[in-house]
Amino acid sequence: MDDLEQQLRRAFQPEEPPADLTERILERTRSRRVAPRWMAAAASVLIAVSAGYGYRWHQGQTAKRELLMAFRITSTKLNHIQMQVVR
Amino acid sequence: MIALVTAQPALDFAQLLRQHQTMVFSLALRFLRDRGLAEEVTQEVFLSLHRNLAHIQSPAHAAAWLRKVAAQRVIDEGRRRQRRPLVAIDKIAEPAATARASGMERDLLLNEALRRLVASLPETPRMVMILRYQEDLDPMEIAEVLEMPVATVKSHLQRSLSLLREKLARRGVGEA
Repeated sequence: MDDLEQQLRRAFQPEEPPADLTERILERTRSRRVAPRWMAAAASVLIAVSAGYGYRWHQGQTAKRELLMAFRITSTKLNHIQMQVVR
Repeated sequence: MIALVTAQPALDFAQLLRQHQTMVFSLALRFLRDRGLAEEVTQEVFLSLHRNLAHIQSPAHAAAWLRKVAAQRVIDEGRRRQRRPLVAIDKIAEPAATARASGMERDLLLNEALRRLVASLPETPRMVMILRYQEDLDPMEIAEVLEMPVATVKSHLQRSLSLLREKLARRGVGEA
């Protein structure tokens, strides 16, 4: 290695960053961690609301099916009575 | 089960940060010659490490990863912001006092002149020089960091050193 290379090594000695840089970076990583928690809470609320609406929709469908069944039974019975009356 | 037994303990981000922040910051500072920008790039590089920590297998892997990402990020930043001085290397004046000064003062002036000369090189040879003389990497290691052939790295080093010698000799500064 010649003199120029030695001088370059001296000129390019690593330089310390500002003292507060470590804390600033750690703070930014901490604030990044808050986001997933917030998002998880929002996702939970969304799921709960969706589940509520889904359950109500399912109940509505069941009631609709039961009502149609009741109409069919009533209709069958009325037909049966009508036939007996005609006879 | 085997995976559980052989699983590596999670790397300590804070420890990696304290251990390597000087390297990342110095790389950015020497390349960009702007402290604020160097701090900004250092923060971004470490936030990227934090996001990718699950993929880092060991402290040695972390060091290599940081050097590679920092070098690439700094080159990109330099190109994006066009901080590179637009004057040719020959147009950069040496400090007038360099030839007259002596001892420690001369050394400091020469160091600053060398940093300015290296900063005037195009992005790739500039990063090659910084990795060589700041990080003390050999040409093969530099080739890995910058993903280029070793011969290209050697060629950049030789050409840059010749250019610096020529410039210093012309200004009568001579070698240290």
